[in-house]
Amino acid sequence: MKKIGILLTSLFLFAILLAGCGSATSTSSDTGSDSTPADVKAIQDRGVLKVGVKADVPKFGYKDPKTDQIDGFEVDIARAIAKKILGDPNKVELQAVTAKTRGPLLDNGDVDIVVATFTITEERKKSYNFSDPYYTDSVGLMVKKDSGITGLKDLNGKTIGVAQSATTKKAIQEAADKLGIKVNFLEFATYPEINTALESGRVDSFSVDRSILAGYLNDSKVILDDKFSPQDYGVASKKGNDGLAKVVNDTIRELKDSGELDKLIQKWGLQ
Amino acid sequence: MVGPFAWFKWEALFRDWTLFAEGFGTTILVSVLGLTLAMILGTIFGMLATSPWKPSKLMSRVYVEFIQNTPLVIQVFVLYHGLPHLGIMLHVLAVGILGVGIYHGAYIAEVVRAGIQSIHRGQMEAALSQGFTYWKAMRYIILPQTLRVVFPPLTNQAVNLIKNTSVLAMVAGGDIMYHADSWSSDTLYYGPAYVVVGLLYLSLCYPLARLARYLERRAEVTA
Repeated sequence: MKKIGILLTSLFLFAILLAGCGSATSTSSDTGSDSTPADVKAIQDRGVLKVGVKADVPKFGYKDPKTDQIDGFEVDIARAIAKKILGDPNKVELQAVTAKTRGPLLDNGDVDIVVATFTITEERKKSYNFSDPYYTDSVGLMVKKDSGITGLKDLNGKTIGVAQSATTKKAIQEAADKLGIKVNFLEFATYPEINTALESGRVDSFSVDRSILAGYLNDSKVILDDKFSPQDYGVASKKGNDGLAKVVNDTIRELKDSGELDKLIQKWGLQ
Repeated sequence: MVGPFAWFKWEALFRDWTLFAEGFGTTILVSVLGLTLAMILGTIFGMLATSPWKPSKLMSRVYVEFIQNTPLVIQVFVLYHGLPHLGIMLHVLAVGILGVGIYHGAYIAEVVRAGIQSIHRGQMEAALSQGFTYWKAMRYIILPQTLRVVFPPLTNQAVNLIKNTSVLAMVAGGDIMYHADSWSSDTLYYGPAYVVVGLLYLSLCYPLARLARYLERRAEVTA
């Protein structure tokens, strides 16, 4: 019995220690004599920018099964940032992320930046650096055609499937409260799972950003006209890599000012 | 520099502790009911496997081989996403209980079969010669002796069953793992969430594992 007590106590102490470490250490990216911040210099020395992108969102970051290449609007933005840092848009190493993995991958340094339909929120800014928004999307609803649902008001008492780590739940909940209706939520780790749940009738509606919904549309389903709370997408990087955050933000700003961003939006057929 | 274990993330977790408590309750509920189902199935199919009657042997083999050699994740997906296409919409808790119950039932059936076969043949022969029927001999002579042999491996099955309830997280099952995923991906405070959930699983499984070891030692002494 005594042994167990000691073991559990030490485990808790270990956990608290971890907590302490997390907040106690603070590194300042000191700028060297050549004015390139240390974190950016590390990427230049490596010769490649590691970027987390979506692989399942058509037009944003989508892995074409025919070519095995990930391409899209956000991949182009990643290339523009690589060009700014390394002088070559092809020096990117793309890694597919999901809503659930993007945080941990940034924290452990597997990716330098994440450009993956990452909605900017106040709470998230506490954990990561976000650039200015490069695209604004809104939350939408997809239902089966034969369900007869025409808008959120018809979803009273029904179940909505959303993605973990998406800001969708809050957005829909607020809209439902305004209408005075009650909806239930089920969360799934990936979009295909929500899609499967819609098809098997586990959920009555698949709700996520409209750009993402477009990738799952077929003849039996329809995206409703309802639009909820605009979502601003930003490029995320790890707190502490402030030099990198600045370069990223400068790139986004330049893309905006030069009209290059609008061209990309047109190129990928986004409104 | 904000680490994954920053203090304010722990504070947020303790503020939302009710979510985790709710999930922990669901995990315990599914574990208890799933284990009950697994014990019933395991005992029945374990006895069928040792019966002299061929078709029942075959039935038990089919069940055990089929369940043991497919992943639990696939079985749960079939229950959750597959059955609705056939017009059967099980509640997600039922999916969890059936999923882990049937899965571990197959393992427990093997444990029970091995336990029965470890009892010396002479016991059955003696019982039959005294005029017991086969089932009566099982009930009064063989199974009571089997019980002591199978108890330690059964406890290990219980530990595995508890850990396997985390598969519910994949089908929005409302267990502790689901709530940890949901909460930590919403707030991005995944560090504390998974540490706490790990400790909660440990608090359930560790005492059981100790019990298994104690029973094993006791069985060795009396054997």
